[in-house]
Amino acid sequence: MLEIPLITTDNFITYALNGLSRGMIIFLVASGLSLIFGLIGLINFAHGSMLALGGYGTYVVMQATGNFWLGLVISVALVTVLGLALERKVLYWIYDEPLLGFLSTFGIGLVIEEALAVYFGSRSYTVPSPLPESVQVLGVSYPSYRLFVILVGAVVALGVGLVLVRTRLGLEIHATANMQSTAEILGVDTARIYTITFVLGTALAALAGALTAPITSMYPTIGLDYITMAFLVIIVGGMGSFKGSFVVSMIVGQIIAFGWLVLSPTYVRILVFAAAMVFILYKPRGFFGKAEVHE
Amino acid sequence: MSDKLSDVRELARGLPRRPLLAVGVLLLLAVPFLFPSQSDLATEALVFALFAISVDLVLGYAGLLTLAPAAFFGLGAYTVAKLVVDYGQSFWLGFPLAIVLALILAFIVGYVPIKRRIGNVYFVLFTLAFGAIVHDFTYVTTWLTGGSDGLGFFGPPEVLGIDLGDSTPYYYFTLLIVGIIGYGLYLLIKSDYGDVLHATRQNELRMRYLGYDTNRELMIAWLISAAVSAFAGAVYVGLVGIASPSLVSFALTGDVIIWIIVGGTGTLLGPFAAAIGLVFTQELLQNIWQGGYRLLLGVLFVVFVFVLPDGLMGLLRGEE
Repeated sequence: MLEIPLITTDNFITYALNGLSRGMIIFLVASGLSLIFGLIGLINFAHGSMLALGGYGTYVVMQATGNFWLGLVISVALVTVLGLALERKVLYWIYDEPLLGFLSTFGIGLVIEEALAVYFGSRSYTVPSPLPESVQVLGVSYPSYRLFVILVGAVVALGVGLVLVRTRLGLEIHATANMQSTAEILGVDTARIYTITFVLGTALAALAGALTAPITSMYPTIGLDYITMAFLVIIVGGMGSFKGSFVVSMIVGQIIAFGWLVLSPTYVRILVFAAAMVFILYKPRGFFGKAEVHE
Repeated sequence: MSDKLSDVRELARGLPRRPLLAVGVLLLLAVPFLFPSQSDLATEALVFALFAISVDLVLGYAGLLTLAPAAFFGLGAYTVAKLVVDYGQSFWLGFPLAIVLALILAFIVGYVPIKRRIGNVYFVLFTLAFGAIVHDFTYVTTWLTGGSDGLGFFGPPEVLGIDLGDSTPYYYFTLLIVGIIGYGLYLLIKSDYGDVLHATRQNELRMRYLGYDTNRELMIAWLISAAVSAFAGAVYVGLVGIASPSLVSFALTGDVIIWIIVGGTGTLLGPFAAAIGLVFTQELLQNIWQGGYRLLLGVLFVVFVFVLPDGLMGLLRGEE
């Protein structure tokens, strides 16, 4: 039995599960960002606003229909379509210039965030949990919605991971990330691969936004908070490494869940950021990264 | 459309520079008489213009895209506020101290990334993390920074019988400082060092072959930029009288980047003018459409990035 004065076994399990659900949300954001960064080399600052749109979209549909699940599906679908339009119409021709890519996604993110702020105001919204009851886990009563989030995160991790390593599409994504020109010569439609990756990443961000809505409140700049964290997760995990972003998201989730016992949450955030700065300098490929990042 | 544009360019090129400059200076000098109620706003615009050109030095000339300029701006503001509010020291002591602290912090933060040449993409992320840390830090270290309440309130002191706490004197004080430092930065860019910096951004490897220590050149630009940003922050806190976490926020960093892109990266005058113009635009829009300013700013920014990546100055010069 673990009997540190502050923490009982029950508390320990609760914190670990909190860390797991939070880690899963971070993972959904970070993995999409990492795919886009690793493949396209684009610092996608609009990623956070996609998360915000996913969350607000869920809220709006839920207000209209009273059904959270419908809201989740519709908002994720709409944001996915938006991501498709954005990639096809706007972003695809600036992939060769990382700075321009950063600036334009920064601008697009700003426009979306400010549009949300104008329409909804800067106050925060809460979405009632669709699964309000609790269930017994390992002898602890735990909100079933958070368990659902953990489950979704695990399913997505497994599903996308399998697609990346077991399918033709995954092979083509890897080939394009490694050497776009060679992949093209070998018959890979790299423009299509870019589109699929960007849209997939955007959909994951929207899903994260929709899932996090009942847990944390929604505010227009919520995306910025998440992507700052997510960027640092993918640096430590290794740019473009799906496995890396999963492992590091889980670790960061646990650090945040348990860290506040020792330090205030903001100090925990500072420590995570500082660790990421050290990684950028001395180990820029992170733990799991292999591929060169496009300059 | 293009005919009109080339007309504008012809006009801009044909205009005599010196008289235009004189008109601009006269206009700046006359602001408190022309718009007495807007002196504070004009001061704010000038400070932000100085801030914008200090960041343009690293972003436009050295080619280091930083996401942490607000950290140095805030450092300057907090240094002055801390000295005056908590230690009861002189307002003026804060200025040199702000510069020294900014130089030290910039050196510590910039040394390794510049020496290791981590590349643009990583530099963006590195400074993003640094900016986030500084922002969080000002919130949690309540004993040092006052937390979310900030440090305030105070005003600048009297000098030679003139109360700088009044709007008009502080405007002229700011104008003087911004004029001196802005002219200094202009001379710096026009000097041999400016050429070296320009060449380094174009082709760093070739400059190293030619025997230039490019790391040192970039470091100098980075340090000067940090010092001027901190100085602008120090002047700003004298205007608003309180140092609060919004001065180190990512929103401010975003504003600076927008001013620079809209004005034209690497032109000094462009970001300077854009900062002033956009601060006044914000004030005008504030009364008409609350909250709409930042949305318009975002749209404007996107338009500039895609349509006019060289900014207003690029448009006027008509460079291809």
